[in-house]
Amino acid sequence: MREFKPLPAQPAPVKTQGAVAWLRDNLFYSPVSSIVTLFFAYFFIKYSIAMFDWALLSADWTGTTEKDCTSEGACWVFIKAWSQQFFYGSYIESEIWRINLSILLLLAVIVMSFTLPKNIRLKVTIPAFLLLPFICIAILDGRILGLTHVKTDLWGGFSLNVLMAAASIIVAFPFSFLWSLGRRSDMAFIRSVSIIFIEFFRGVPVLSLFFMGSVMLPLFFAEGTNVDKLIRVWIVLIFFMSGYMAEVFRGGFQAIPRGQYEAADSLGLGYWQKILLILLPQVIKVSMPNILATFVMLFKNTTFLLIIGIPELVQTLQTALSNSYWLGGHTLEGYLFVFAVFWASCFSMSLLSSHIERKLDTDNRN
Amino acid sequence: MKKISSLVVGGLALVALGAQAGTLEDVKKRGVLSCGVSTGLAGFSQKDEKGNWSGLDVDVCRGVAAAVLGDASKVQYKPLTAKERFEALRSGEIDVLSRNTTWTHTRDTSLGLNFAGTIYYDGAGFMVRKAIGVKSATELDNANACIQAGTSTELAIADYFRENNMSYKAVTFDTSDQTRIGFESGRCDFLVSDQSQLYALRIGLNNPDGAVVLPEVISKEPLGPVVRQGDDEWFNIVKWVVNASIEGEFQGVTSANVDKLKKDGNPAQLRFLGTEGKLGENLGLSADWAYQVIKQVGNYAESFERNVGQDSPLKISRGLNAQWNKGGILYSPAMR
Repeated sequence: MREFKPLPAQPAPVKTQGAVAWLRDNLFYSPVSSIVTLFFAYFFIKYSIAMFDWALLSADWTGTTEKDCTSEGACWVFIKAWSQQFFYGSYIESEIWRINLSILLLLAVIVMSFTLPKNIRLKVTIPAFLLLPFICIAILDGRILGLTHVKTDLWGGFSLNVLMAAASIIVAFPFSFLWSLGRRSDMAFIRSVSIIFIEFFRGVPVLSLFFMGSVMLPLFFAEGTNVDKLIRVWIVLIFFMSGYMAEVFRGGFQAIPRGQYEAADSLGLGYWQKILLILLPQVIKVSMPNILATFVMLFKNTTFLLIIGIPELVQTLQTALSNSYWLGGHTLEGYLFVFAVFWASCFSMSLLSSHIERKLDTDNRN
Repeated sequence: MKKISSLVVGGLALVALGAQAGTLEDVKKRGVLSCGVSTGLAGFSQKDEKGNWSGLDVDVCRGVAAAVLGDASKVQYKPLTAKERFEALRSGEIDVLSRNTTWTHTRDTSLGLNFAGTIYYDGAGFMVRKAIGVKSATELDNANACIQAGTSTELAIADYFRENNMSYKAVTFDTSDQTRIGFESGRCDFLVSDQSQLYALRIGLNNPDGAVVLPEVISKEPLGPVVRQGDDEWFNIVKWVVNASIEGEFQGVTSANVDKLKKDGNPAQLRFLGTEGKLGENLGLSADWAYQVIKQVGNYAESFERNVGQDSPLKISRGLNAQWNKGGILYSPAMR
């Protein structure tokens, strides 16, 4: 007769859930990993405490001059005192509402582009986008609208980065669309001109283009014509951007199934009807992520304008750092501020772009 | 190849020259002087939090505007980088370049430009930590030097040490701010830079009093305003505005006493301020041009002390930039 012998109880299984398990699985799964973890944790804690103390606890927050920075920590007074320069440049103080208005208009058009009802969305937002740069320039310059004329030398700061980037990408939009069509054209002349243009502006560093715009171009203008430096650079940025965006659009055109072209042809639509009514809406949708990525790139590239002395944000910071009343070495605070401003803007743009993608992506998910 | 490029450059310069004549009329018609300054150099051309420009270089712009337009505030400042400054002047984008530009033979003769005088005699100098007790640059044998790469200072220090049979080890940095940090963290025993910069760098140190600037100046860096070649009328105006500010100090005319001296000064002062004679007329300006410069901008001493001297954070002493009868080399030609 065999006797029933229960097996000895197994030890409790190793926990696979909860904080302790997570730590063991990810940070302490072997002696080496434990050492590495402790090593990095030590330095992380050591330096983040020092950083925290420098940036917050022993920092100077109140005051208006360099002399108010008495402690060992960061001198945020510097940022505070210069904040108007950093955001608006030397723009006439009583007219700063015009910069704010321009930026609000830009935001309004962006919001419109994905909140309006579908049937009128493209019809309203495309003209609004295309008119926006010229409206903004009219507002900022002021002469046409009968406001005080503010010369472009006074424009500057972060608002200049934003408006330059927006104004150039918007104007570059239709051009790049035409270049990409030209590159796909059957006509040899148009095709080669488009290819030369696109490849030139994609193959040349933007810095050298800025130098061209600021140094070389004036020598070729007729006597006595002084095209404003900001406008010259704007033109350069538009060319640069349209070269890049043309390739984005070409990718979009190639992504559209052949059947769409054939269907449009079989309906008897003409060339422009086919492009504008059938293909363009699809191309824009397909290219949206790339368009926004290109925009973020251009937006960051506007800081290169400092190389030709345009007072955008980084240039303004360097000017501020060299003021003899602020020579206490505020480089770190200044650049941290620039990082924060650009990171916040670029991150919100990428949030916005993923939102727009979700909004547009209604049917193509396979 | 070299020939071709010089032909191209020469051709461009000619085109630019042909385009420019009668800067004085242009400025009067426009009602505002377009002045090229730096994007920011402590004490020379700097912007404050409100966006107002000030500095020794800026005062030249203001002086010319006061002399020509009667209003020192009618200046449009164009911040320029070192690379684009001469093209901006040649293309006519600016009327005067006042951007801490060193007057050199090459620049004066080959760029189609004229230097209209010197407003600051600069030169490379040394800064050492007080603690090492060095009193003169000749005691710096075998020391480490913090230098900004690619500057004329690099050449000057090499010449100086070779001349004195001494050796040094160069520790080079890309920007002048990095040079300061290198000096502060003890990477080198002394820092070499232009004198005017040394004082600004010194303020940036955590403990400015722990460092001293040595008396030796080892290179010539005369800084002054520049105009286009081929417009002698305008060249004269800028040149004599610079001289007026120096002559003003020499004659004891300041912005405070100028109104009084215009009426009852000595003959030289009366002539200088336009009450008598026709100095202004010869320049194509109003008779009181020098009065306007002194009244609105101040004489050289006032401008110097306000921007880089004892009334400023830089506290640069006059040194070479004192009047010729006070140990310096500032000397205005005769005002008559």
